[in-house]
Amino acid sequence: MNHPLLTQVIEALPDPVAVFDTQLRLVTVNSAFSDESARHLGFALRAGDSLRHLMDLHPNLASQSMHVWQAALSGERIAFELAYGHPPLRYQISCSPLYNDQQEVFQVMMVIRNVQAETEVRENERFYRSVLENLPVGLQEFTPDGWHRNMNGAQRAILGAEHAANNRPYNVFEDPINRRSGLTALLDEVKQQKAPVKREVLFRYTEVHEENVTRIQPMYYEVTGFPVLDLQGDIECLFIILSEITEKKLAVLSLEKSERLLHTIVENLPVGYIQFDSYGFIRRVNQTQRRFFASTGLEEQPDSNLVQDPFARLFELDQLFLQVLQRGKMVRLEKKLEFQVHTGAGKTDREIFLDLTLFPVEDPVDKDQIVVALVNDITEKKRQELESTKVQESLIQTGEIGKIGGWELDMATNALRWSGQTYKIHELPPYATMTVEKALSFYEPESRGRMEQAMAACMGRGKAYDLQVTIQTARNNTLQARVIGKPEYRNGRIVRIYGVIQDVTEQFRIRNQLTRNAELMRLFFDTIDMGYAVMDKDGKVNFINRKAQEIVDHGKVIGRNIFEVFPSLVGSTFHARVRQCIEAQAPVSFSNYLPQLDKWYEFLLAPMQDGSISIFTRNITDSKKMQRELRKANEQLSSLNKFLVNQNKQLEDFAHITSHNLRAPIANLKALMQIMNETADEQEREMYRGMFQEVIRNIDETLNDLIEIVQIRKDLNVERETLAFSDRLQKVKDILLVDMETSAIRLTADFSEAPHIEYPRIYLDSILQNLLTNAIKYRSYERTPSLHLKSRVVEGGIMLTAEDNGLGIDMERYGAKLFGFRKTFHKNKDAKGIGLFITKTQIEAMGGSIHAESQLGAGTKFIITFRPE
Amino acid sequence: MKPLHSIFIVDDDPIHQQITEIMLERLRIADAVTKFSDAQDVLDHIRLNAADPSGLPDLILLDLNMPVMDGWEFLEVFADIRHQLAKPVRIYVLTSSIDERDRERVDRFDFVSGYLTKPLTNDIIMGLLP
Repeated sequence: MNHPLLTQVIEALPDPVAVFDTQLRLVTVNSAFSDESARHLGFALRAGDSLRHLMDLHPNLASQSMHVWQAALSGERIAFELAYGHPPLRYQISCSPLYNDQQEVFQVMMVIRNVQAETEVRENERFYRSVLENLPVGLQEFTPDGWHRNMNGAQRAILGAEHAANNRPYNVFEDPINRRSGLTALLDEVKQQKAPVKREVLFRYTEVHEENVTRIQPMYYEVTGFPVLDLQGDIECLFIILSEITEKKLAVLSLEKSERLLHTIVENLPVGYIQFDSYGFIRRVNQTQRRFFASTGLEEQPDSNLVQDPFARLFELDQLFLQVLQRGKMVRLEKKLEFQVHTGAGKTDREIFLDLTLFPVEDPVDKDQIVVALVNDITEKKRQELESTKVQESLIQTGEIGKIGGWELDMATNALRWSGQTYKIHELPPYATMTVEKALSFYEPESRGRMEQAMAACMGRGKAYDLQVTIQTARNNTLQARVIGKPEYRNGRIVRIYGVIQDVTEQFRIRNQLTRNAELMRLFFDTIDMGYAVMDKDGKVNFINRKAQEIVDHGKVIGRNIFEVFPSLVGSTFHARVRQCIEAQAPVSFSNYLPQLDKWYEFLLAPMQDGSISIFTRNITDSKKMQRELRKANEQLSSLNKFLVNQNKQLEDFAHITSHNLRAPIANLKALMQIMNETADEQEREMYRGMFQEVIRNIDETLNDLIEIVQIRKDLNVERETLAFSDRLQKVKDILLVDMETSAIRLTADFSEAPHIEYPRIYLDSILQNLLTNAIKYRSYERTPSLHLKSRVVEGGIMLTAEDNGLGIDMERYGAKLFGFRKTFHKNKDAKGIGLFITKTQIEAMGGSIHAESQLGAGTKFIITFRPE
Repeated sequence: MKPLHSIFIVDDDPIHQQITEIMLERLRIADAVTKFSDAQDVLDHIRLNAADPSGLPDLILLDLNMPVMDGWEFLEVFADIRHQLAKPVRIYVLTSSIDERDRERVDRFDFVSGYLTKPLTNDIIMGLLP
């Protein structure tokens, strides 16, 4: 390459450039290189200098560069960065091999570029990017059209791995979710105003797993959208910042909720609630207060100001309000308000008493001072209080003008002075002259004696007295009076006796009455044949009658606690019932067995007004025993009754049978008689005579059947003997041998479980014969007839079942007729309707029973229960 | 021309059937007297001739106590079909039972014209004429 040309070319380059040969000797350098080397290395490297010089002067720099130079000389195009200088600056050193005509590397061009600024920018960007990436808030960048450009880790976490923005072109304006969440509107506003906009957005929901419950929790974010503007003031990109405020939001929501709750509580408080702001305006009134306002006829005026309201001022409510507000302390007082109410009829005076509590509160949100007034209308309570005070006063007054009079006896003058009331008691005109002698004349002799003794004792020994006496008044009325006398001493000498006299006739009468009533009651309760006691709720016995005393049979019980006297009663039925009676305040009755006494007692506990309990009790041991016996007798009676009913029914059936079955042929005879008499034709009469014979034969047969049945019924004590079922069956088989062979019936029997029975032989034979005959007579011709007999022991007897595979019976249709007399339901000429009737009779006569189960076309099963005595 | 066209006797007692037939014929009150031993047979006949007035009786003398289908069952079924018949059929219960319960039970079938107890007499038979 042309050397001067190369020199010119490199000289034209702005960066320092040097070309060196294979000996690392500089071939040419540009002036930038010389300047730069002079500045950094302390000397200017020029063409002809060897780079090896650097080894000695800047070994660090040389060692970093050497292998690069070598690599370049071996034909590699190579670049590296190094920092050098103080402060270190970053340089990029690029080495390019230069080739000669033989295509050999004979020189290397080295370009040194200061990349300090670039590196700084790059590093800055990495730094900021990492900062943004690691910001705890979500950050997302969009094009002005809304296309997703970038986002940080927090935002990726918010959007989730599934979000479209992760791997596809995503436009924030086109996602319908954002329209719903309000993000679209927010970004529109940002675009329009070119200014940041902040809003709370419910951005998504998250699943919260708690044990095995998954809850969906809303996630709230504070979203800030802002534009980045370019130099022309156009929007270059849009950013959103998402900061999670779920917790805060939920806290706010729950605060709102608790505020609502508080509001509800306040609203429903049974006392009036008024909330004033710091200016005295009413801000909230609850329903109790509204009712109160309504009842007072006062208009509720939400805008009325307490400080200015004339009504409030009249009752100094404004002052109270200010006092509370300024001092910040609670005030509670009773206030009486008097005012006129406009009603439909005109004006009415109203007087109300209020229990007012005013206290200051700081509004938690606005930090304003507010005042709450609790208003309790105590008018009614107050009215009652006043009422009772009045009653009390009048009582005292009554006491004052009551029948108590005063008197005094001057010991020196022996003058007796009476008060007006004392005269009144004695029914004397007031101020009549009175002497001791005259006073004593009103007393009954016995009372007078006691009185004189008492007075003597008082005068002599200074003994005070309190006597109950009988007085005959001036108008000849008899009074009971209480006379109290006391001595008065002066200088050790008795100077006067004074006291009161009280007409206690009324009290006396009442007391007498009471005593008499109590006595009567005692008498009454002692007379009744029932224990009676009264105890208080703890168990202390206040009254017990003689009978009850006998029952408890235990010294003195009255005045003592029953549960202490009888510790065994604690936790007993009695105890429980007492408690039940007290709790329910209702009478309780029960009967209880007292094992110690082997007796049954019936109790009635009744609560009384004063809280004590009346106990009535009665020994019902005998009646209990009687009840038991009665029940037993009843059972016997009822079983007897059942037996009689059964007998009755049988008799009735029998009467019915007799009536029907004998009347029918007799009616025939009558009719025959009639038609025979009406004809003279001998041939016809001969025919009737034949019919007569037929009917009479029929009657004879029926009568024989009936006689047999009557015999069975009558012969209840027919002799029983121990019979083997198998023996008796064999006997019957012998009798019916021909029928069995004709029908080819297969007879099987299993008597193993109950081989024997105590029964009349002829009955058992008859029963077995009837069962076998029936099975043959009503066999089905579609199959080989069979009959299976089985005996077994059952409760209360022996059961015999006979199961055949014959025609069967429509039980629903004929069940009722099955065991009837002369009842048939097969068109079988052999059927006379007598066999089963006799069988039933023979079984029932011995206390047993028979019934049948059957299915038409499948067979019949007779079930007989024998009840041996 | 006799007062009645046809009378059915329903009774399982052949002697009774025969006596009643003789009595009815002597009084010449019906063109035809038909005897049945079983209520089922009568019912079958009536069903078969329900639409044919000439096949239906004017009068049925019905016994109560019979095998297979008895008088009670017949009355139950007849109560349901009688309105479908081409002409009215009068029914008299004729029984040897003097049980009051039977009479009361028959009374519950309001379409039964009468309760007669055996034996029949000429007077009773003449009372059956319309």
